[in-house]
Amino acid sequence: MLIAKKLTKIFNNGVLALNEVSLTVDKGEFVFLVGASGAGKSTFLNLVIRQEVPTSGAISVNQQNIAYLKKKEIAYLRRCIGVIFQDYKLLPQKTVYENVSFAMEVIGTKAKVIKPRVYTVLELVGLLNKAHVLPSELSGGQQQRVCLARAIVNRPLLLLADEPTGNLDPDTSWEIMDLLSEINKRGTTIVMATHNREIVDGLQKRVIALDRGRLVRDTPKGGYALET
Amino acid sequence: MPLKPRSFFYFLHEALLGLVRNRLMSLTAMGIITVGLFLFGLFLLVTANLQYFTDLAWGEIELRVFLKPAVTNQAAIGKQLSALPGVQSVTYISKAEGAVSLEKMFNNNHLFLDEENPLPDAFNLTLTKTADPEALTRLVTAIPGIDEIVFGQDFVKFMEIAIRLVMVAGLILLFLTGLAVLYIVVNTIQLTVYARRKEIEIMKLVGATDAFVRWPFLLEGIILGLLGAGLALLLLREGYTYLVFRLQHYRRFLPLLTGKEINLTLTVSLLSMGLFFGGFGSHISLKRYLKV
Repeated sequence: MLIAKKLTKIFNNGVLALNEVSLTVDKGEFVFLVGASGAGKSTFLNLVIRQEVPTSGAISVNQQNIAYLKKKEIAYLRRCIGVIFQDYKLLPQKTVYENVSFAMEVIGTKAKVIKPRVYTVLELVGLLNKAHVLPSELSGGQQQRVCLARAIVNRPLLLLADEPTGNLDPDTSWEIMDLLSEINKRGTTIVMATHNREIVDGLQKRVIALDRGRLVRDTPKGGYALET
Repeated sequence: MPLKPRSFFYFLHEALLGLVRNRLMSLTAMGIITVGLFLFGLFLLVTANLQYFTDLAWGEIELRVFLKPAVTNQAAIGKQLSALPGVQSVTYISKAEGAVSLEKMFNNNHLFLDEENPLPDAFNLTLTKTADPEALTRLVTAIPGIDEIVFGQDFVKFMEIAIRLVMVAGLILLFLTGLAVLYIVVNTIQLTVYARRKEIEIMKLVGATDAFVRWPFLLEGIILGLLGAGLALLLLREGYTYLVFRLQHYRRFLPLLTGKEINLTLTVSLLSMGLFFGGFGSHISLKRYLKV
């Protein structure tokens, strides 16, 4: 599903964000990407969705090398990847329903397909009764659920989550994790960058640790730290 | 991206929503387009009227061609003159008619009482707008039987220079006004796009193509451009009609195009400029924010 080979990213200001990272994520896996701030987790996710271009090395999603995609192909790559952000990135002027349906509209889905699928997804994340309210009227946990609904509504093969529980309290964080686990069980591959030690230790999934841009650990069923 | 009707209505709906949701910025952009196009239209009116004035002056220019006394084939020469490029009309004035008109100029005094009429036969030539009087003079001189050609040579030369100056100055002013308006419009639309950069970023991240992101903004720009142009047009047309009405008594000295005569040019120019400014302004404003 996701293969990186000696992936290196050096920013224009000379910062080495990723240093020859090689890894493979298989279809249906749930992988935690851990490390301190500045370890390279977000840079790695940005390379997967082609928000950044690698300085050297190769990266492929679903057997397609994405390092050298044309502009239009980037849009098509992103249609098979869902993304969840720490700051939710919801459109404040659109309702919950519109924020989710928007992701389908922009890829040209027919209106008759959009409506039932958006309601199904909103039901899955438990927000059916909030479909027509604005994000500002929702709690942080509910906003993250909208973000999650938007990320999965196009049935992506791969779901990237960048600190999805970063702004949430422990109970709400677990609710989000339960949803992610449910989505993973349905076959979606998930790569989640996180600082949340409790969640990583509690779920005992595959853990990939980065430190100053280098891959320092890849444990099939591990915890946040090496000794766990 | 080929635009399907379904997509067009979606984009139009999004564009209208965008205009309403960002109404303050939209009104600002529209206001600036209105002011810019008003100035542009003002220059257009001035240039068009100067052109009209010079055209009228061209209509006044005549060439008088005198024939040698021995000439008997006046009709043939008249035909040759009519066929020359730049000649609008040819009027034959016989020596007798010449004498009558000359006497009229001198209060009907009989100028040639006991003498034989010394005036030669002549032709009066009026010119088309595109005529080149000097080239025409050379062609006329080449016709056998022509004795002399008289026309306001200095006046023609002065008019030629004046017309060129007016046109060049008018075009430069129009061009500079156009650039200034485009610059302001791009900056204003850039502010509306900046205010919505998050929306653009999200669209790009969920897999929208550049074309998909661009269309609603383009339509917004076009709608703003057309509304701004429409408002400028309304102000100019009403203002100009009022001005022409107030100056109608001076029409003899200050010939102005009527509102009806200038309406089509003004409407087509302003609306197409509004379309261009809005559309092109949005297009270049968006470029930076599409790099997500």
